[in-house]
Amino acid sequence: MPVDKKRITGPEVTQSPLYFLEDSSGISQLVNKDGTRKDGRGENDIRPIFMKAGVVSQAQGSAYIEIANTKVICAVYGPRQVLRREDFSMTGILKCEFKFATFSCPFRRKFQPDVEEKEFALIIEQALSPAVCLHKFPKSQVDINIRVLENDGSALAASIICSSVALTDAAVEMYDIVTACTLRITPEHMLMDPSYTEETNSINCESNGVVTMGFLPSINQTSSLLQRGHLSCDKVLKALQICTEGCQRIYPLIHECIRRSVKSKYRPAEQDKEKSEEDQNPSKG
Amino acid sequence: MSGLELLSDQGFRLDGRRPRELRKIECKMGVFQQANGSAYIEQGNTKALATVYGPHEVTGNRSKIEHDKVLINCQYSMATFSTGERRSRSTGDRKSQEMQLHLKKTFEAAILTQLYPRSQIDIYVQILQADGGNYSACVNAATLAIIDAGIPMKDFVCASTAGFVSDTPIADISYLEESQGGPELVVALLPKSDQIVEFQVNSRLHLDNFEKVLDMAIKGCKDVHAVLTRVVKDHVGQLASKMSKT
Amino acid sequence: MASTQLSDGEKTFIIHGVLDNLRNDGRTCENYRQIEVECGVVSNTSGSSRLRLSNTEVLVGIKAEMGQPKPQSPKTGFLEFFVDFSANASPEFEGRGGNDLSEDMSTRFAEVFQTNNILDFESLCIIPGQCCWVLYIDIVLLECGGNLLDAMSLAVKAALANTRIPKVTVLRDSEGGEDIEVSDDPDGYHTLEISKVPLFVTLSKIGQKHVVDATLEEEACCSASLVVSVNSSGDFTGMVKKGSSSLSNDSIHDMLVTAKKVGIQLHKGLDTLLSEVGQSTAGRGFLVG
Repeated sequence: MPVDKKRITGPEVTQSPLYFLEDSSGISQLVNKDGTRKDGRGENDIRPIFMKAGVVSQAQGSAYIEIANTKVICAVYGPRQVLRREDFSMTGILKCEFKFATFSCPFRRKFQPDVEEKEFALIIEQALSPAVCLHKFPKSQVDINIRVLENDGSALAASIICSSVALTDAAVEMYDIVTACTLRITPEHMLMDPSYTEETNSINCESNGVVTMGFLPSINQTSSLLQRGHLSCDKVLKALQICTEGCQRIYPLIHECIRRSVKSKYRPAEQDKEKSEEDQNPSKG
Repeated sequence: MSGLELLSDQGFRLDGRRPRELRKIECKMGVFQQANGSAYIEQGNTKALATVYGPHEVTGNRSKIEHDKVLINCQYSMATFSTGERRSRSTGDRKSQEMQLHLKKTFEAAILTQLYPRSQIDIYVQILQADGGNYSACVNAATLAIIDAGIPMKDFVCASTAGFVSDTPIADISYLEESQGGPELVVALLPKSDQIVEFQVNSRLHLDNFEKVLDMAIKGCKDVHAVLTRVVKDHVGQLASKMSKT
Repeated sequence: MASTQLSDGEKTFIIHGVLDNLRNDGRTCENYRQIEVECGVVSNTSGSSRLRLSNTEVLVGIKAEMGQPKPQSPKTGFLEFFVDFSANASPEFEGRGGNDLSEDMSTRFAEVFQTNNILDFESLCIIPGQCCWVLYIDIVLLECGGNLLDAMSLAVKAALANTRIPKVTVLRDSEGGEDIEVSDDPDGYHTLEISKVPLFVTLSKIGQKHVVDATLEEEACCSASLVVSVNSSGDFTGMVKKGSSSLSNDSIHDMLVTAKKVGIQLHKGLDTLLSEVGQSTAGRGFLVG
């Protein structure tokens, strides 16, 4: 990634004031006494989702997603020629670049991709590759650029959904759309689609964890799986089941978004009408 | 010289050796199966591992192909935990690159390079624990690995170091002796023909003493040679007995 | 990964073998290859181990150094992982060849060792907010014969069992300044409690079934695998899917059940080995055998 050399850099070592907050975290606090979560949702509720395809005019395909405050934008370039000649391959290559915007998280991110971002890039690559007909474009690659603008939990799942919408928008042939879902597991609860506090709060304690799953709904296959934290085998199996259900609930929303974008692309006369309709009622989950 | 007395009045060194004594050498050939040749050597506390791949087709940049001889490719690395203080990287720093170059030159002089035109031999050496004499341990390990790979050489390449302390030349100096700042001679020798293939002097040494120290280093190389020959003979003997059994 | 080129025929042979629960080297699908482990092989480390899993060889050195605690956890020490893909293992790793893989694997380790009950991280703290022990765990891959992550995690656990951290005392002078004194008594060290350190179990999907401890050839036939980190009581402390193909939920279920079973066995096996060699300081290293 290019680094802006003209930028006036801040002091070399700084600390976020958040480090000095009194530690008021507690696992029980994630869920209220009446069984609702801090933001009023039930355990199994997904936050409202807004999706739009075709937001970056320069790219072949692009998409933007909002899951409450989590905002991700993704642009797809290609299929285009592989730049390095040596990398000859009979199948196409997916190249994914994933970055949290520096201001997207409570703690500032660095300009250079850190290890977590590189890992997420790899996971997204592997989540998408079973869905894409890679054999259709040998010797070429598809670049997927993902930028998380604001991270309010489930950023990985949002990125997977967003990039799969962007791929369809770029008209890359696919077997299926990849949906994704994150589940936060506490000793007593399983919280679907966690917010940032839910995702990070006391995650390193025993019997706590987060599971993120990428899923291909129409062929019923899991394309990616990431678990963090300390969980028993049974809990994980249970979580996978709930995640699958979550993924299936998100699937129609993606469908709807793609349908709308295709419609507006190929029937430009109706575009204006569609647009006004869209502004009035964004798809809610 | 600083507080440490490298040579006691009775003529013993810090680790109890006499001036002309080498550290204990132990080695093993053929430690890995996947490489074409491999060897492991311990010289006192210095531990080195060498693997040889090749001769094979030139990989990477095709402009490196040499039409009349083999391309020798060396990589020298030191494990991050090999030194007293942790190193932040194992390879690619200036010292490693210099060492790499020295190793390359050394083995270009010893391997019958004209036998494999347009090909490449990879020699990878890694220091697992460093206690002085890294170069010589690497050369000795690499020699064994090349022999294990069955690549023809003019002769063994044996390397050793020598230092000079209170008018006495000392053989095979350790890290402690190295770091005191006295002169250090590094010699790589083809023992049969008495040809020097690599020679280095660090820090100042008076010309009058030069011969004495060089003789000590060369004697060190020959002692190393005696050990290596024995190891190779044992190894080949074992292989032969295995083959005759099957 | 060191390259192995297999023809379609060879791949079919391996896949059919796995289907019959009999692999090329005579193992069943849930068997590991023979494990040799040795501790205390590098004397200038705080703890070290060498592990051989048939053709895969790994050397781990741990150095305990003093550093500043991280701002988010001022009262604990921490671990730093580094995986070195030495060119010795394969010419592909020369120069920067192994960097991507190495980064990927170090991340995996770092992530799994985040859970705060794995080690007693608080005992690694010397002065809260100012000084703590940093354990640099350096993993060197010497020979590459498949199933690297599992081998590395076994070696890391062995090296942690071998690690000795010097005892330190904090001296406070009258002006409130603090001074650290390291014990010079050779027996003045403490060891780490390793009963909760997890091991990786990699399950590779081959054809219709899955195997543990895949060889290089089997890895070439495998399109998707699941890396699960299991602790000695069979709980999972992390999991990620690798590879470019997808898995059905049923097979994931089976794989996880296998991971739990195999993981517990693996821990038991390693613990018995470690009870013999764990505290040794005079490993013979490569000269054995």
